[in-house]
Amino acid sequence: MSPHPDRLLRLIHALRCLPGVGPRSAQRTAYHLLQHDRAGALVLAQTLTDALEGVQHCQQCNNFTENPLCELCASDQRDGRLLCVLETPADLLMMEQTRSYQGRYFVLMGRLSPLDGMGPQDIHLDKLVRRACDGMTQEVILATNFTAEGEATAHAITELLRPRGLILTRIARGLPVGGELEYVDSGTLAQALLERRPSA
Amino acid sequence: MSAQRPPVESGQAFVLHAIAWRETSQIIELFTRQHGRVPVVAKGVRRARSALRGVLQPFQPLGVSWFGQGELRTLKSAEWQGGIPLLQGRAIFCGFYLNELLLKLVVRDDPHEGLFDIYTQAIQRLSEGDALEPVLRSFEVSLLRELGYALPLQQEADSHKPIDPGANYRFEVERGPVRLREGEVHAVQLSGKTLLDMAESRYEDPLTLNQSKQLMRLLLAHHLGHQDLHTRRIIQELPSL
Ligand SMILES: [Zn+2]
Repeated sequence: MSPHPDRLLRLIHALRCLPGVGPRSAQRTAYHLLQHDRAGALVLAQTLTDALEGVQHCQQCNNFTENPLCELCASDQRDGRLLCVLETPADLLMMEQTRSYQGRYFVLMGRLSPLDGMGPQDIHLDKLVRRACDGMTQEVILATNFTAEGEATAHAITELLRPRGLILTRIARGLPVGGELEYVDSGTLAQALLERRPSA
Repeated sequence: MSAQRPPVESGQAFVLHAIAWRETSQIIELFTRQHGRVPVVAKGVRRARSALRGVLQPFQPLGVSWFGQGELRTLKSAEWQGGIPLLQGRAIFCGFYLNELLLKLVVRDDPHEGLFDIYTQAIQRLSEGDALEPVLRSFEVSLLRELGYALPLQQEADSHKPIDPGANYRFEVERGPVRLREGEVHAVQLSGKTLLDMAESRYEDPLTLNQSKQLMRLLLAHHLGHQDLHTRRIIQELPSL
């Protein structure tokens, strides 16, 4: 016999779908919502339902949107010849913050991760192929992470799109801007040395 | 202050796999030289400014230290050792494949120094752009040998007669090569030369490559039981890889 009412147990169980939340923090969160913040809990419940009903994937870039096309894809101010491929919506925000990219985007919503069983279907590669082969796109810029998974993803996309007559480029890696050799980690420095380029 | 400090272990290691854990940490499956597979918690490694973040990458030789016992130990430090360039392109998928084999066939806390060297060498070869398939086949054969399932590749099962490079064989798991009778066909058919090539890690012959791949698939399936190899499936799902 559990000392908890059935509905409370189900709430604790449901909270565990949040990333990084184990049984203990799920229980703590449930107590908190029911005891100290019932109004907040109600708002959470309603906005969650709202988001589930109203947020979808953009038909073109796969990012979250409330309309069939997101604002970036609907805009006529972007350069359709460039398509930048990213892992997550957060990466897209970072890219926009640079204010130095005017092309279009595609968000994979993940990365290939063979050891976790994440394959091509999980990162919408078929949708990316359709997007990149729209006749406008000339260059696909791969801006996945410089992790083993991000590199594997970039490689798979290259293999997939290069035969279709597109130019595939990978964002550069190396020392951070303003970086001093003395303070950079050895892995970065070693790779920067391997990927050195002719001096301007 | 308590006088009891947890004993600290240290040594060479590779990261086999990492999964997110709680808000800011990771559980990392290490393959260490002296202690075999060791799971550790890397605390705070997912914080933006964590110094360990860039270091704890797979396919890179590291110097690590950890403390604690049981299911989860705590990573104390990890240092980049270098010497192996980052894997590129298809070699990354091969690297994941090697890691998956280690994760599924090597039990935790069982030291295999020989296997550590074999793995290091395989990763080194993958990083140097060597032909990939021969690296995988050599690794698979060595892995089974290190785990105590050495393949009899130079003698027939039971009779122990030397393998005839011109004859054809089938391979019985846990027994060895059995000579096919005249006209007999078998799903995984091996020429004597294939077996002898494998014994010497020679994989230039396309027939050797093809037949050894089938043999190793059969043997790995036996040792893996009903565990699937995700990496193999995903490599097959990528059409042009
Ligand atoms: Zn869009």
